Amino acid sequence: MTAFKHLLSTSPLASARESASSALGSLKPGSGSKPPRYSAAGLFVKGAKSQDWPRVWREVDLQKSYDVIIIGGGVHGLATAYYLATNHGITNVAVLDKAYLGSGGSGRNTAIVRSNYLTPEGVAFYDRSLSLYNTMSTDLNLNVMFSERGHMTLAHTDGALRTMRWRAEVNKLQDINSSVIDADEVKKLAPSLDTSPNTRYPILGALYHPPGGTIRHDAVVWGYARGADHRGVEMHQKTEVYDILCEGGSGPDGKGPGGKVTGVRTNRGDISAPIVVNCTAGWATTISDMAGVKLPITTHPLQAAVTEPVKVFLPTVVVSGSLHVYVSQTDRGELVFGASVDPYATYSMKGSLEFTEELAGHVLELMPNIGRMRLLRQWAGLCDMTPDYSPIMGFTPVDGFLCDVGWGTYGFKAGPVSGEQMAEAIATKATPKLIEPFKLSRFATGQLVGEKGAAAVGH
Amino acid sequence: MMLVPCPNCGPRNSSDLRYVGESHSRPNPNTATPEEWRTYLYMEDNPAGPLKETWYCRSGCRQYFTAVRNTSTNEFENHPLPGAKIGSVDPSFHYVSESKSVEGNQ
Ligand SMILES: Cc1cc2nc3c(=O)[nH]c(=O)nc-3n(C[C@H](O)[C@H](O)[C@H](O)COP(=O)(O)OP(=O)(O)OC[C@H]3O[C@@H](n4cnc5c(N)ncnc54)[C@H](O)[C@@H]3O)c2cc1C
Ligand SMILES: [Zn+2]
Repeated sequence: MTAFKHLLSTSPLASARESASSALGSLKPGSGSKPPRYSAAGLFVKGAKSQDWPRVWREVDLQKSYDVIIIGGGVHGLATAYYLATNHGITNVAVLDKAYLGSGGSGRNTAIVRSNYLTPEGVAFYDRSLSLYNTMSTDLNLNVMFSERGHMTLAHTDGALRTMRWRAEVNKLQDINSSVIDADEVKKLAPSLDTSPNTRYPILGALYHPPGGTIRHDAVVWGYARGADHRGVEMHQKTEVYDILCEGGSGPDGKGPGGKVTGVRTNRGDISAPIVVNCTAGWATTISDMAGVKLPITTHPLQAAVTEPVKVFLPTVVVSGSLHVYVSQTDRGELVFGASVDPYATYSMKGSLEFTEELAGHVLELMPNIGRMRLLRQWAGLCDMTPDYSPIMGFTPVDGFLCDVGWGTYGFKAGPVSGEQMAEAIATKATPKLIEPFKLSRFATGQLVGEKGAAAVGH
Repeated sequence: MMLVPCPNCGPRNSSDLRYVGESHSRPNPNTATPEEWRTYLYMEDNPAGPLKETWYCRSGCRQYFTAVRNTSTNEFENHPLPGAKIGSVDPSFHYVSESKSVEGNQ
């Protein structure tokens, strides 16, 4: 496993950043408001002048204690660190990852963002994330390649059409651009779709959401990591948390409800901290078990696949709930496919032939013309599924132990808002309003936030 | 692909079965408090290791059965030989349904 920052630092992008940074003065943690900008001219000058390509973020020694320890170096952990430092000036923060930054779902997802959810709580939350994504390139001084290409969820049954009308109304009430369109309009937007009435599952209409689209997921991870580093946050890769140290709790070793966190045990020794945040997605319950906190989460793999690149013909993201498939075309021309999670719980990230066969069959029902295209790759990531398809965020019965988990198949788009809100929770020691509905205790009180109708096909 | 050892039909592709989930004992619905009931409904162990779980042999014998599977490797433990009744398991038998790699293609 190569640390990808190494890859980034040898890329033209990084070179440009370096030269820009030398022009702007040295890159000291905490200096300036934003990390330096990349530019093509900078790349050229730098490339001509020197062969020295320093890494994009620092590698420093692990300290014995921090104000905040964040477990998991995906978009959620890194965004939380970035906003802690940027919005609240809390910089004595370490992000620990057992592998490399972005090695979990954050580097494996299909990069789709949208806010056309089903519940008012969900819509408000994801809408905030979209607006943070909208200004991210300038906020982080890194092009995250946001492509606002529109997002279309097809309806093949009357039941699906009904759910879409429902979603459109909920969306409109909250000023989200979202409406139900008919099959002719679907054909106009995406001519490659088979909209004839003679298919097995005829396309009756769609929920159309123009502000949805795709963003380069790696750039988001790198951007937050670079931004957090710039403010003095430390990131430690290959640092695996084995245990969470607690005292005063009702369970064994002082863990469990009523106790409080004192630190973590890692493969590189014990580290003390009064606040430990669980941002480990698919591994969420393994971490919360270490603190004696039980979560209603099961871990399922989600698989995805990508084809060889062809000329761009698919202008929007297309999702089909009935066919359990979604597809978008990258700027390079590859088709990226995703589906629903594998039907059994596991921590194994192996792909399966069933997935490829089913996917190919369903895609061909939607777009019969691409039968000759070849798949290049398939892969899987772990998804932390909750009973209501909504996340679990905020404080837990163990003092100082916070969770930002339950991201299932939809957590990439939620990275920015989650980081912002979790940082606020940590800094103010109070649950912000936007994430109040997602508290862990909702399962005991039966106040679920049902998003299955808007999130079951994973993306 | 993962082979699931049905005690009646022998090892079958997981797509022939329905995964029901973790085997939890159900509290008495007449006496359980709402909170106990919701804990039963929602809370999961989700271990990265041995898990006692329920499968339904949808396309085969149409029976429910319990198996123990290591969720990190997808190996089933002590799985019954084809034809054996649940409870008469040969403990020496260890069926490997997937290679040991856990980390996938990282
Ligand atoms: C194939 C696929 C497609 C997807 N498509 C979309 C999509 O289109 N849109 C969308 O919004 N979402 C999508 N998702 C979901 C999204 O990827 C995840 O919800 C999101 O990336 C979760 O981010 P995270 O930062 O919480 O966790 P991750 O990125 O999973 O990071 C968790 C990190 O925790 C680390 N970790 C685990 N255990 C330990 C330990 N003991 N000690 C230290 N570190 C540890 C891991 O190494 C990992 O890096 C998709 C997911 C998959 C798998
Ligand atoms: Zn059977």
